Amino acid sequence: MSGAFTKSMARNIFYGGTTFFFLLFLALSFDTMKQLPKRDMRQNITPSIIAGKHIWETRDCIGCHTLMGEGAYFAPELANVVERLGSKEAVKAFIQSRPVDGIPGRRSMPQFNLTDKELDDLANFLEHVNTINDANWPPNIQG
Amino acid sequence: MQYKSQAVAKPYFIAAIGLFIGQILFGLVLGLQYVLGDFLFPAIPFNVARMVHTNLLIVWLLFGFMGAAYYLIPEEAETELFSPKLALALFWIFLVAGALTIVGYLTVPYATLAQLTGNDLLATMGREFLEQPLPTKLGIVVVALAFLFNITMTVLKGRKTSIALVLLLGLWGLAVFFLFSFYNPANIVVDKFFWWWVVHLWVEGVWELILGAMLAFVLIKVTGVDREVIEKWLYVIVTLTLITGIIGTGHHYFWIGTPEYWQWWGSIFSALEPIPFFAMTVFAFNMVNRRRREHPNKAAVLWALGTGVMAFLGAGIWGFLHTLAPVNYYTHGTQITAAHGHMAFYGAYVMVNLTMISYAMPLLRGRAANSNKAQVFEMWSFWLMTVAMVFITLFLTAAGILQVWLQRVSDSPVPFMVGQDQVALFYWMREWAGVAFLIGLIVYVISFFVKGEEKAA
Amino acid sequence: MPPDTTSATMSVAVRPSGPPNDASGARLPGDLAIWFFILAELLAFAVFFLAYAFARAGNVEMFNESQLTLDLNSGALNTVLLITGSWFVVLAVQAVKRDATRLGARWLAAGMACGFAFLVVKVFEYSAKFDADISLSTNTFYMFYISLTFFHFMHVVLGMVILAILLVKTRQGAYGSREHNALESGAAYWHMVDLLWIVLFPLVYVMR
Repeated sequence: MSGAFTKSMARNIFYGGTTFFFLLFLALSFDTMKQLPKRDMRQNITPSIIAGKHIWETRDCIGCHTLMGEGAYFAPELANVVERLGSKEAVKAFIQSRPVDGIPGRRSMPQFNLTDKELDDLANFLEHVNTINDANWPPNIQG
Repeated sequence: MQYKSQAVAKPYFIAAIGLFIGQILFGLVLGLQYVLGDFLFPAIPFNVARMVHTNLLIVWLLFGFMGAAYYLIPEEAETELFSPKLALALFWIFLVAGALTIVGYLTVPYATLAQLTGNDLLATMGREFLEQPLPTKLGIVVVALAFLFNITMTVLKGRKTSIALVLLLGLWGLAVFFLFSFYNPANIVVDKFFWWWVVHLWVEGVWELILGAMLAFVLIKVTGVDREVIEKWLYVIVTLTLITGIIGTGHHYFWIGTPEYWQWWGSIFSALEPIPFFAMTVFAFNMVNRRRREHPNKAAVLWALGTGVMAFLGAGIWGFLHTLAPVNYYTHGTQITAAHGHMAFYGAYVMVNLTMISYAMPLLRGRAANSNKAQVFEMWSFWLMTVAMVFITLFLTAAGILQVWLQRVSDSPVPFMVGQDQVALFYWMREWAGVAFLIGLIVYVISFFVKGEEKAA
Repeated sequence: MPPDTTSATMSVAVRPSGPPNDASGARLPGDLAIWFFILAELLAFAVFFLAYAFARAGNVEMFNESQLTLDLNSGALNTVLLITGSWFVVLAVQAVKRDATRLGARWLAAGMACGFAFLVVKVFEYSAKFDADISLSTNTFYMFYISLTFFHFMHVVLGMVILAILLVKTRQGAYGSREHNALESGAAYWHMVDLLWIVLFPLVYVMR
């Protein structure tokens, strides 16, 4: 097999190929943005849920837990936690009851001293995430 | 060292190694917390330690990239750096900002840190890897832009080689995609969708351009193979990387509320992602086999070859293992992901930085290569760290497989923590492998201080 | 002077990658670089086709039922258009190799016209489907139908961009009997786009 193999051709293919696939990615992303309203339950997002997401972020929950499988793998999945624990009340009670000094020898969740409103917001946020159509993930209730 | 201004790379490399040590120490803390749950609690909870571990990694890799660019660009452009002073000023700004951020993580509760740093004005914190307070994020943008200005001006006034262009493109892409870290919509699905535009399009996109350019540069130097040959292979490899990697982003869009066609698009294109890594391994070995000179710096050659192999294993093989949607349905968000993440980051980005440092540091210290004795130390550290990382990956993979089985596949799935307790043995073994990694890192640092007969530059 | 400056001088002696030698029998037309790209593209499509076959095996009835709604005529017409376009590009390359560059440019333009007609037909086909509220998320068959044909559609667009560049450069006299590496490379890419359609059309439109 003889034949040319030129740098200029390789370069042109790099620029052309990259542009091509990036445009294709943009096209798919565009379609995704159009489809999302059917899956992400945005119509149900309330100010409380937004505030709950803020609590979720400012306590760095994702530093231990996963949410729809993304995050750290130190603590249980939370996208379905309301379902797993049975109710928002159970979730709130769990968060509230964390001992300040942890549980001896066990992985311990910090006591965040959330107010009742903050707890409500966070629970509402987690409940909302539970309703998102995420292609039937996780496989079972254990997350 | 051919140009005086290349010397600014030195503090960058030193800082990179310093932060690397910090990253590993916190990694050991995390590993211990996996088995002794309340270790250091409540002083340093897991999420804080993890933030420090991952953020230190990102920052030291960036230090490495910037140092590499400051070293490589003048030599490629055949001209002095546009402004060495700016480069040095940016070094201190970035280092102080990075250090303050870490201190902030460790001393102030995260929620308070968020409040103090204006997160209520523009909420960007508390998302994985993007935990940095707003001022730090803005600082990263400013430093990145000033840095890009500096090296772009250097290239513009000098020779424009393919390596320099690919590196510039990668670094510009890095800065541009980081801007998505400022976008944090209330809709969690949209949030996650664009979060990956930073994370995936960095590590499986533009960072690979940086990696390719750095590797190509070192290979030209240590093998003496003609630039024409190496540069066209560089183009072929980065093309393959991007045509698979960009749509490959789809493998993150399986289970986060995004449309289900991503399961097909993501699986198909990310199944092809090992190809560029394989090509890179073949390329590195090929170039070394065709070498036209015996470079005295054997350690740098070893690191370069190691980068090819380990990036292929970590990013290519371990990525492929769980990238197909039907498999990922069960493995998503388990220790399998952790296993892949560790080996991929080490094999690709840690090792390419160490390759560059290994090649450039002796020259920056005024010699062609370190003494044989020092190189022996460095090669020992290569093997210690690399083998330790292989074992970390294997133990995490074993833990992950068991976790998937216990928690997701078996007829009576057990709760998360019940499963975790059952795989604790593997976490202990991972921790010991981590200790071995730290020993390797200590040997690496020692290698910089080993004297012996050195070849003059 | 550090030793690595010598490597620059050492490596000046390069094997020249000059114009390929036509006499050497089994010569690969065009640039090796384009063949890497073509192989990568073929591989991507091959995996996509396999995924289609795999998904279809799991739900033959739904696939067959949805397949009936596809417009076979426009698909067949497009097949003819692309094959004709490929033939024109072959003629173009042959003409340029005889230094008949003006003729070559005309054949290239004819090839582009076929490509353009393909795109027009495809747009009509798409608009009919979109009017019927069919999207990527309708069902797995339509997901594959739209994904594969759109992925291919974009390849036709890219192929046309390449042909347009080649056309301009041919007109400028950049290619001839001595230098036609880029022309052959672009033509090879265009043939690949054609080849892909020849697999795609029966697979998605016809085979039951």
